[in-house]
Amino acid sequence: MSTREKIADLEARSQRIEVGGGQKAIDKQHQKAKLTARERIVKLLDPGSFTELDKFVTHRCINFGMAEKEAPGEGVVTGYGTIEGRLVYVYAQDFTVLGGSLGEMHAGKICKVLDLAVKTGVPVIGLNDSGGARIQEAIDALSGYGQIFYRNTLASGVIPQLSVIMGPCAGGAVYSPALTDYVFMVKDISQMFITGPQVIKAVTGEDVSAEDLGGAMTHNKKSGVAHFVAENEEDCFAQIRKLLSFLPANNLENPPFMETGDDPERIAEELNEIIPDNSNQAYDMLDVITRVVDQGEFFQTMPFYASNILTGYARIKGQVIGIIANQPKFMAGCLDINASDKAARHIRFCDAFNIPIVNFVDVPGYLPGTNQEYGGIIRHGAKLLYAYSEATVPKITLVTRKAYGGSYLAMCSRDLGADQVIAWPTAEIAVMGAEGAANIIFRKEINAADNPVEKRAEKIAEYREQFATPYVAAERGFVDLVIEPRETRPCLVNALEMLATKRESRPAKKHGNIPL
Amino acid sequence: MKKFRIKVNGKAYEVEVEEIDGGGAAIPKITAPTTPQTVVQPAAPAVSPEPKTVAPAPSGAEVVTAPMPGKIMSIKVAVGQQVKAGDLLLILEAMKMENEIFCGTGGTVKEIRVSEGAAVNPEDVLVVIA
Repeated sequence: MSTREKIADLEARSQRIEVGGGQKAIDKQHQKAKLTARERIVKLLDPGSFTELDKFVTHRCINFGMAEKEAPGEGVVTGYGTIEGRLVYVYAQDFTVLGGSLGEMHAGKICKVLDLAVKTGVPVIGLNDSGGARIQEAIDALSGYGQIFYRNTLASGVIPQLSVIMGPCAGGAVYSPALTDYVFMVKDISQMFITGPQVIKAVTGEDVSAEDLGGAMTHNKKSGVAHFVAENEEDCFAQIRKLLSFLPANNLENPPFMETGDDPERIAEELNEIIPDNSNQAYDMLDVITRVVDQGEFFQTMPFYASNILTGYARIKGQVIGIIANQPKFMAGCLDINASDKAARHIRFCDAFNIPIVNFVDVPGYLPGTNQEYGGIIRHGAKLLYAYSEATVPKITLVTRKAYGGSYLAMCSRDLGADQVIAWPTAEIAVMGAEGAANIIFRKEINAADNPVEKRAEKIAEYREQFATPYVAAERGFVDLVIEPRETRPCLVNALEMLATKRESRPAKKHGNIPL
Repeated sequence: MKKFRIKVNGKAYEVEVEEIDGGGAAIPKITAPTTPQTVVQPAAPAVSPEPKTVAPAPSGAEVVTAPMPGKIMSIKVAVGQQVKAGDLLLILEAMKMENEIFCGTGGTVKEIRVSEGAAVNPEDVLVVIA
């Protein structure tokens, strides 16, 4: 072969692989409103930035006639490129090639990018679209999954790992996404489950559709497995790019600073009016957050799950912050199992990746009920305490209104290591609500009174006046500043700048034992 | 001891009645009924409290359930009323807070399954909208 022929041969080989499973399979993929692996990578990354690795890798399975079966690219496209000019590693399973099934070499390609991502300190994005393990490869395919799980775990807390579900993801395959930091799902085309509808029907007799069992909304609303839901693939890529704009490339970097053009000294007059005079009435905590952060932009994670707590990212004076906020508008903003779980995970991610935490607190307490107790609110609630205490990033707590009892402590109180606690004059920081406290403390007086109802009301008012304020806590130094609500933004800017160089170490240990 | 033959719904039963000393209450004793299954019918099944969600909602309907235990403070809509997504349906007092329960999709209020002052548990159906 002449050199010219060799070059032509390379071209031919490349092209054969780039068509994946062939035009028929590609058409089928498009009919399902799904893009192919290569189309997805092109849409996700900056134009022309993708470098493909391991294009010529093939399987070496000879069982069940596999020796004659070609699998162009081994059913997965891997490589690296940039998003907004920042490097990312990416792998995309190709459903057109043997259903995107995972075999030994397919897994090997994924493992290679995971290893590179950790070595270079760069985020990795996995686009999942696979029928599952390649059964012909038997235990080798199984080992492939294990290799990926192991690497996901070792990479956890070192680089951000994003999983995008863009097709079926069933059985063992679900655990790689579950081990990563964020799971994205797309409506109608994504499904995740350990056992599918047929198996469930056979074993328990329950009739459930694949979408109801493991569709995008199921995992975004009910199970909390997924963190983001997209209307379609394009929307999903936009969300991925948005999320990455808040994240550092690895645990040794700071999150990306971005000039936002919002005045750091901006006064938000509306905040002085936001808390209702009647403390039993709700308001929308999003109205507070969006008036404080840069350009009112708050990027929520898990927006449909445990809506009684808000988590997400924003910027203050261009600096990325992680937000945890009680939402009085939903379930009174109380803490329950799911809210504790959601918040604890967010706190730990922020801590791992040097993102300062700002808490907006208005919490009436823990949700009472047998299902909460039987469900283990004690151990799930403990995750929140653990995560806050463990975190060494700057921690700022703003108490807008209620902060009662155990839930006051749990929402990053001074005692759990908050570096600055700010309260609005509307704050009610107390051991419990005025009604409950008055009933206990003044029980004898109330019972002995000529008119117990009147006496009770009087004592409640007395207690509220004296204790349901920020000043008792401020007298003890549990609250550093009491500010007018409208001054919140400049106050947070100031606190974040003061804490920018915060260094705090923990006793050397292998790892803690978070109550899982 | 006296024997009686009693007909119930056309079926005959032999009943023995014994007089207890002092002329008190007579205890009827039922023996060997010809059709045993109809004889002793407990007034109501002792165990089986009414399930909370009695009638299943019509398909395609939006079922608004209680997110947490509490008490219905006030109901803001009436059966037959048109509602749209985001409309206030009722106020649930829980955690000493007035929790506004909003409409999710919109339609016509078909049923209101609670009354003001009622205590509700999580997942109890409050309003059905179709």
